[in-house]
Amino acid sequence: MNNIAIQLDNVTVRFRIPHEKIPTLQEYAIRWLKRRSVSFTDFNALDNISFSIKQGETVGIIGANGAGKSTLLKVISRVIRPTQGRVFLRGRIAPLLELGAGFDYEMTGRENIFLNGAVLGFSRKEMAARLDGIVEFSGIGNFIDAPIRTYSSGMVARLGFAVATDIQPEVLIIDEILSVGDADFQKKSAARILEYYNNGSTILVVSHNPNSIKQLCTYAIWLEHGIIKMMGSVDDVINNYSLSLV
Amino acid sequence: MIEYDSANRPPAVIDEFIQLIHYRDLIFLMVGNILKNRYKRSVLGIFWMLLNPLLQTVVLTIAFGTMFKSSLPNYAVYLLSGLLAWNFITQTTQYAMGAMAYGGGLLKRIYIPRATYIVAAVGNGLINLLVSIGSLVIIILFLAHPITVAWLFLPVSILILTIFSLGLALLLSTASVFFTDTVDIYQVLVQALFFLTPIMYPASILPAELSQVLALNPFVILIEIFRIPIYTNHFPDFNLVISAISLALITLVAGWILFTSKADQLAYRL
Ligand SMILES: Nc1ncnc2c1ncn2[C@@H]1O[C@H](COP(=O)(O)OP(=O)(O)OP(=O)(O)O)[C@@H](O)[C@H]1O
Ligand SMILES: [Mg+2]
Repeated sequence: MNNIAIQLDNVTVRFRIPHEKIPTLQEYAIRWLKRRSVSFTDFNALDNISFSIKQGETVGIIGANGAGKSTLLKVISRVIRPTQGRVFLRGRIAPLLELGAGFDYEMTGRENIFLNGAVLGFSRKEMAARLDGIVEFSGIGNFIDAPIRTYSSGMVARLGFAVATDIQPEVLIIDEILSVGDADFQKKSAARILEYYNNGSTILVVSHNPNSIKQLCTYAIWLEHGIIKMMGSVDDVINNYSLSLV
Repeated sequence: MIEYDSANRPPAVIDEFIQLIHYRDLIFLMVGNILKNRYKRSVLGIFWMLLNPLLQTVVLTIAFGTMFKSSLPNYAVYLLSGLLAWNFITQTTQYAMGAMAYGGGLLKRIYIPRATYIVAAVGNGLINLLVSIGSLVIIILFLAHPITVAWLFLPVSILILTIFSLGLALLLSTASVFFTDTVDIYQVLVQALFFLTPIMYPASILPAELSQVLALNPFVILIEIFRIPIYTNHFPDFNLVISAISLALITLVAGWILFTSKADQLAYRL
């Protein structure tokens, strides 16, 4: 199988939730002296998940709040390592989990393009070559040399989107960010995602809006309490999910 | 094509290093931004960096200078050279812990090498140190203290201090993610150690029994390796150099192994 873009084999992500708050050395010392151990609950945000996605496929992920959607995207974009199992990914990934991760609000838009680019793993040289295109797409205009604390939240999102999607990634990962920004930005960003789709990018989208998933995706995964409740063609999964809500 | 396979990657000690090299521009940008942010709002700008150690030295020299007049001629040079090494180590490590604990939110949101913040903190401290050496030179010229070929040893001293600080920062930052009071405990220890380290006073005033204990204080070696070429104007002796290098390397190796082995848990913990 050479055209696999993303593959998960029995992936579990386990968070350890301490029953008492703040872990301090002092607390541990007291407990140790009293011969009491610290108690935890282990919680599986993802529980033994397996699936694979071929290159060029678009897959939507749906499910209730806390179902594990964001955790799934994080484990794929290597923000967290799986507690168990294997994540395999082929190609450069553009994670749109949170737009403008690492933005420094005291710095100008221009400086932040370099900073955000570096956070995404690009060199200064690459970013310098792409600066103009990014400024252009973001539509920030003259504000590009003002500190981004003076931007509206939509402007920050535009800039983040422009940096993260400036060159076509093999895998595009989107977590509920399509709803930010005004109509113009939504049109522009949708057009860019569609362009990448037509050029063969693999796309993974989390959204609470069934229509935007239906528009973009051919397959869907329904997560519930960290397990895959259903996986298949987008219409089947969305229909069943909608039925479960009534 | 790039591939990521969570089950098949180089050992953490190597993987983290490779990633840091790949993300080096991020480290440079972070160091630059720390400096920019800190000094943007101040009118004096970079001069504040020069002024701060000068003021510190003037105040302490007025307070203690006469006390050690005979044992420590040009007290201000003795004091500031020790203080610079001390500040570099302690401020760098404290800054690294702070950046990990409070600024590390980024680590949960996007992949960047886990050691980025720590290396940036050390880089930032290094720049502060180099600028502060400027203030030291001003004082040295003012007091007509000699500057000799022994200064050629300083790059080695600074390298040793940097290696040690990076190692200590890695150790403490890892601890601070697991135990949130590490920062406070370290703060108290640092304050106590400051008075147990001959920085404001000559080592000779300590009673003999105490100076035996003092030999166990790792900071003494590191301060000496930096202060001797500047204040005493000769190269540090061979044994001192060897102990300082060993101390620095052992700390870095220990810190790197601990940090990289826990790095995957950081995004879960922060
Ligand atoms: N760092 C963490 N420590 C402990 N538990 C966590 C952590 N991160 C997430 N969780 C838990 O994992 C579960 C899944 O979270 P996740 O963010 O993946 O949900 P989601 O499906 O994206 O929800 P939403 O629709 O609200 O965005 C939640 O119950 C959450 O409490
Ligand atoms: Mg979510």
